[in-house]
Amino acid sequence: MKRFFRSNGPIILVIALLLAALTAVGAYVFQGAPNPLGNVLGVVTTPIRNGISALAGWVEGVYNYSFRYDELQAENDRLKAEIAELEADAREGEADSKENTRLRQLLGLRPKDRRFELESASVTARSSTNWDSTLVLSKGSDQGVSAGDCVVDAAWNLVGVIDQVGLNWSTMLTVVDANLEMGAFLSRTESIAILEGDFSLMADGRLKLTYLPENTELITGDLVLTSSMGGNYPSDLVVGSIESIHTDASGISRYAVIQPAADLDSLVQVFIIKDFDIVE
Amino acid sequence: MTRQDFLLKWFFYALALLPVWWLELYVLNRLPWPGASPLLLPVAAITVAVLEGVTGGAGFGLGVGVLCDAVYYGAWGEMTLGLCLMGWAAGAASQYALRRNFGGCLLCCAAGLGLLELFRVSLGLFTGLSDLYALLRVAVPELFWSLCFVCLLYPWFSWVRRRIVKALRL
Repeated sequence: MKRFFRSNGPIILVIALLLAALTAVGAYVFQGAPNPLGNVLGVVTTPIRNGISALAGWVEGVYNYSFRYDELQAENDRLKAEIAELEADAREGEADSKENTRLRQLLGLRPKDRRFELESASVTARSSTNWDSTLVLSKGSDQGVSAGDCVVDAAWNLVGVIDQVGLNWSTMLTVVDANLEMGAFLSRTESIAILEGDFSLMADGRLKLTYLPENTELITGDLVLTSSMGGNYPSDLVVGSIESIHTDASGISRYAVIQPAADLDSLVQVFIIKDFDIVE
Repeated sequence: MTRQDFLLKWFFYALALLPVWWLELYVLNRLPWPGASPLLLPVAAITVAVLEGVTGGAGFGLGVGVLCDAVYYGAWGEMTLGLCLMGWAAGAASQYALRRNFGGCLLCCAAGLGLLELFRVSLGLFTGLSDLYALLRVAVPELFWSLCFVCLLYPWFSWVRRRIVKALRL
């Protein structure tokens, strides 16, 4: 037995132990940064990932054109009608906005302003394990992206938050990942709560809204936005809407299940908010 | 075997690992079914260990483990040690206890992946990630879906090994 262990790779096991310890220490010390090998692999594989992503997009386009043409046509007609309604709303809103500006001037308040510095990025890979919900993006520290930046889709729906940044790539936690937690604002009731990813809901593409305000009647479909609590994330980004409301196992508090507004499964292009300045 | 043969042999195994890596990380996790993406890199490490024995298995497991820790999100070194141990154990099992064939490989993969999932579920329970049912809902499909790929990876690495033996006249 002794001879077996002596002649069968004890040095390899010792090296493995040391490397594992080194990786664990590195992961603990450099949170928000990938390990050096991971960074190099990310840099080298980014062009290939971009190629695969483009190819997958093309295949999906051909599939949609071939098998979902009628469905897409119907969706197009519905969206045209929706745009007409929204344009009417926007015209009404313009008048209100002008009135609001005049009143703010009368009161001596700074004009409302929302400025964002955005970086466009494409989604090049999906979660590497089944135990998280992440997306790999095509921009990294070379483009000024940093950990904690919010990511939105073309309709300004919150998609997630940047967690790891490599040179020309970054990994983003989606809004449904179990590690994500942020303040939320309920637009109809004008109350605040906490948004948090939940592992049991992650597979269904949902997240949880906890610390719901007492004595507030929430209803299915209520819009959930980001709040400016803490100042880390920009306010008023649409996260999703309430799908259902439940009482937790203790029977004391309630929580709501949120359906994200962003379609996380079919994202191709996203926008990273590198910096923002909001005057409420 | 000369030093050059030794290096060439492992270079070919590393090349054979590339398509497996791409398949796992950039193709299969895009598919909407069956609700989980398979763990191909650990299966590849165990398969090569079954074919190459204890020392080769531990060494290849170490290399694949380092790769897994680099490319799997949130890994913190557990794959480096885990796959090295799995490679070592699978190599020993195929060398001394099991037959070096598809059945032996399937058994080793089932045991190795089972241990990996057990570790992840235990860690999830310990850290309060979720309840047992939710953790098993991820672990069980992942285990079985990964095992399905032994049918693909065992013939692939067996073919690579045969080519290496023929090319290097080992």
